[in-house]
Amino acid sequence: MNPITPIINGMAITLKHMFMKPVTLQYPDERPKVAERFRGLHGLKVSHSKAKCVACYLCPTVCPAKCITVEAGEDANHDKYATVYEIDMLRCIFCGYCVEACPVDALKMTGEFELANYSRQDFIYSKERLLEKQ
Amino acid sequence: MVNLTIDDKQVTAPKTATIYEAAKINGINIPILCHDKKLKPFGACRMCLVEVEQMKGRQIPACTTPATEGMIIRTSTPDIIKARKMVLELLLLNHPLDCPVCDKSGDCDLQNLTYEYKVNSNRFTDEKFNHEIDYNNPLIERDMNRCVLCGKCARICDEIVSFGALTFIDRGIDTKIGCEFDDPLNCEFCGSCISVCPVGALLARPFKHKARFWAMTKHTSVCGYCGTGCNVTLGVKDNKVLTTIYDEEQGFHKGQLCVRGRFGYQFINSAQRLSKPLVRKNGVLSESTWDEALEIVAGRLKGGSNVAALATPRLTNEELSLFKTMLLENVGTKNFDHAAGYAHAALTEGFARSFGATASSASILDIQKSDFLLVIKTDAYETHPVVGFEINMAVKNKGVKLSILSDKRGKLSKLPDAKTLVHRPGSEIALLNSIAKTILDEKMVDASAAAVAGYAELEKALSGFSAEAIAEQSGLNAADIKKLASEYASSEKALIIFPTGQAYTGHNAVLASALANLAIITGKYGKEGCGVLCLSEKNNSQGAVDMGFYPQDGGLNSVQILDACINGTVKTLFVAGENPLVSYPDRNKVKAALDAVEFLVVSELFLTETAAMADVVLPVCSYAEKEGTFTSTDRRVQFIKPAIRKSVQIKTDFEIFSDLITRLGGQPPLRPALQFEEIAANTPGYLGMNHVSLQKNGAFAPVITIPAFVAPQALTPVVSETGKLALVTGSALYHSGTLSQYGEGPMHVCPEGYIELSRSDASAYKIAENDLCTVSSATGSMQLKAKISLRMPAGVVFAPYHFSATPINSIWSGAPVTLVTLVK
Ligand code: SF4
Ligand code: SF4
Ligand code: SF4
Ligand code: SF4
Ligand code: SF4
Ligand code: FES
Repeated sequence: MNPITPIINGMAITLKHMFMKPVTLQYPDERPKVAERFRGLHGLKVSHSKAKCVACYLCPTVCPAKCITVEAGEDANHDKYATVYEIDMLRCIFCGYCVEACPVDALKMTGEFELANYSRQDFIYSKERLLEKQ
Repeated sequence: MVNLTIDDKQVTAPKTATIYEAAKINGINIPILCHDKKLKPFGACRMCLVEVEQMKGRQIPACTTPATEGMIIRTSTPDIIKARKMVLELLLLNHPLDCPVCDKSGDCDLQNLTYEYKVNSNRFTDEKFNHEIDYNNPLIERDMNRCVLCGKCARICDEIVSFGALTFIDRGIDTKIGCEFDDPLNCEFCGSCISVCPVGALLARPFKHKARFWAMTKHTSVCGYCGTGCNVTLGVKDNKVLTTIYDEEQGFHKGQLCVRGRFGYQFINSAQRLSKPLVRKNGVLSESTWDEALEIVAGRLKGGSNVAALATPRLTNEELSLFKTMLLENVGTKNFDHAAGYAHAALTEGFARSFGATASSASILDIQKSDFLLVIKTDAYETHPVVGFEINMAVKNKGVKLSILSDKRGKLSKLPDAKTLVHRPGSEIALLNSIAKTILDEKMVDASAAAVAGYAELEKALSGFSAEAIAEQSGLNAADIKKLASEYASSEKALIIFPTGQAYTGHNAVLASALANLAIITGKYGKEGCGVLCLSEKNNSQGAVDMGFYPQDGGLNSVQILDACINGTVKTLFVAGENPLVSYPDRNKVKAALDAVEFLVVSELFLTETAAMADVVLPVCSYAEKEGTFTSTDRRVQFIKPAIRKSVQIKTDFEIFSDLITRLGGQPPLRPALQFEEIAANTPGYLGMNHVSLQKNGAFAPVITIPAFVAPQALTPVVSETGKLALVTGSALYHSGTLSQYGEGPMHVCPEGYIELSRSDASAYKIAENDLCTVSSATGSMQLKAKISLRMPAGVVFAPYHFSATPINSIWSGAPVTLVTLVK
């Protein structure tokens, strides 16, 4: 083979790509569009301005990483609600089992993926942080 | 035995078995919802349908149909499965399906069956129930929307508890479980109804939303309250005891508990528990280290016979025997005692003389096997409720006759055909002697009696106790006494039951001997269903006696120890778990003694009134945090192991005694198991036991009786004074000792002391329910709330002794009957 040929081939590919849409995302100036079924940070759904979660303990039971802490309480109407709902994002494996297990559809996984933080404590998401913003 | 075929398997079953039982014995499982083996067959739910070939394949309930010879039964044909599915569909039709918020979830029969039979849709539609939910009851939450009308709660409350609080009310589709007139529930709160409810219609309110059933670890243990020695299962999560769990296979009582056992567990994780040793510095108790505290204590224990000790019979056998060894060998004192010195006298003096053994000659299991029960004081139900259940079942199911000699009526008096002879307080011993005298006079003496030591003396000493003479002073009539005597003597098997305890000073050695005389004279001991059963008060009262933790060879008893503290001969007092300031008679004297003693060390769970006076307080473990053995009132030795880890800053009493022994230059055993080896070798009846073999069900320590008659002394009857009432002390059903004050359940339903009086006295003194009355005796005066009841006879008032806030010992100095005046 002519020793020049591979170089020409290479240059041709390079040239072709110069006119194609780039694959690389210029993060953080450019941001990805996550798929609808993407499993990012959890969100606690709200209905009638209350968290839907009834503290049934099914998500902490099913969670393979054992990273959900729920504590139940009784509100003024004698309804059960979560006094504590925490997820330790350092341990979560984003499997989504918790969402599947929830009998009242109180939990979802959002597109939020920027979960970096400065301290370990900040990875423990409390109920307030997980509540869906209205 | 009958032979039958179940699912093509040839099986045999007892004649009395139902089809369900026959299948169960042979390992074939038929689903049930409304059936419970402890209750009579009912047949309400139709979950247990089976097909019987001889009945042309008709579907019949297995739980109510007796198994008969040659039956050919099929338990799971497609038709039956279809029928069972339909039963579930119909039950689920009105059921709220709120499993996510129902605390029964995970332990719910309806949920499990629905899952097993894959009922995931419903062909029918109907409205859900809309019953009001009872959120107000402090212990039992009733949500009748979840009820499947199995009737188990109403049946257990009637058949076993014999309270009858719950029943079916309203009719047709509106039928629900409720109290009479749909009133709020106010019962004895044993929680039996909760334990058998197959769904979440009845739930323990203190446990509401605390944890899921599957998230808890279940630890078997032995109840830490009374001497019945019930087995309990503790539900533990995150090192906290959150509830007690029902296990129908557990113990002689098949999982039944009383209000204290079921709802009184909160003291284990109470925030008031002591967490660090306290040492008195400049007059105040301040936190210290174990090293400092134990060094001070060890220094003070070098006083030889200047040292005395009082222990609670709630410690384990290992702890009590190690404590005793320490006192005898390392400290060098014989001054130690438990239970105020007299609560064990029925055993250590009475039975010791009469039966040659310091234990009862009968067991709780004899109750249902007897023909005739003689109960001394209706309080036996209050002190030992689960023994009370046995009496209920004996009377209601087995037709056992029940007679009661008591100074007041009580729950036992309400049992069918129960005869209660209400006598004047304080006359029970004379009465028992007159029964013995009647038996002698009417020639109903057993042939074996004449050969027993002391027969002639007994005959002579009883001469003054003719029924006529005693009838006068006891307020009964002679004919009734004679009738009781002949009923007791003529029954083939007869059992006597009497409670003892710190509030029952009259139930002493003399009473125990009088009872033993009755049993011996009629030959009713040492046989099944016969004997005298002493119900000892605390969970390890019998153990404390077996370990010999009471004064022998010249040691001082509790009363003498307190005297010696006052006069200065005892300089160091070690109180392990007792709270004499509240639970011993004569508060002034106890206080003077604790003030006077130079050095007081208290090992306790809580900063009790007694601990607050101490120089050193050592925080110790509850029964849920340690290992060892307890001996129940009928000498069942049972093993307990820790259900939760103890906090690092507290020690078990065993560790404290071991440490002190080391500091005193001795060599303690390494583990409780090793101490038990020594106990087993040296305690009569314990031979061959060890911790490993006791783990499963415990074991009975046999009692060998050598009968002897104890001749009664002449007694001075309690004289009444006009304008004065006779105060008798005792236990309230909801409490046991002073410990149950730290259990939230008991405190919800019985939070404070009271004085119980009859209607006639109430109207004579113009006192209404809950009025604050001033009660005064010769030794003091105090205020108590009035409780008016039907069970008290005129002239007699009753007060429980458990409460620190209203310590009854400020007016009671230990007499079985105290004369008091009552002013509103
Ligand atoms: S996504 Fe998976 S690992 Fe993460 S919390 Fe849910 S169940 Fe647990
Ligand atoms: S499964 Fe749903 S309702 Fe249950 S605790 Fe988790 S989020 Fe709450
Ligand atoms: S708690 Fe006991 S007494 Fe009360 S209703 Fe239930 S079973 Fe009956
Ligand atoms: S409350 Fe429970 S035990 Fe009572 S009938 Fe209803 S389901 Fe049965
Ligand atoms: S207090 Fe006595 S009767 Fe009640 S559960 Fe405990 S051991 Fe049983
Ligand atoms: S279990 Fe037999 S009818 Fe309910």
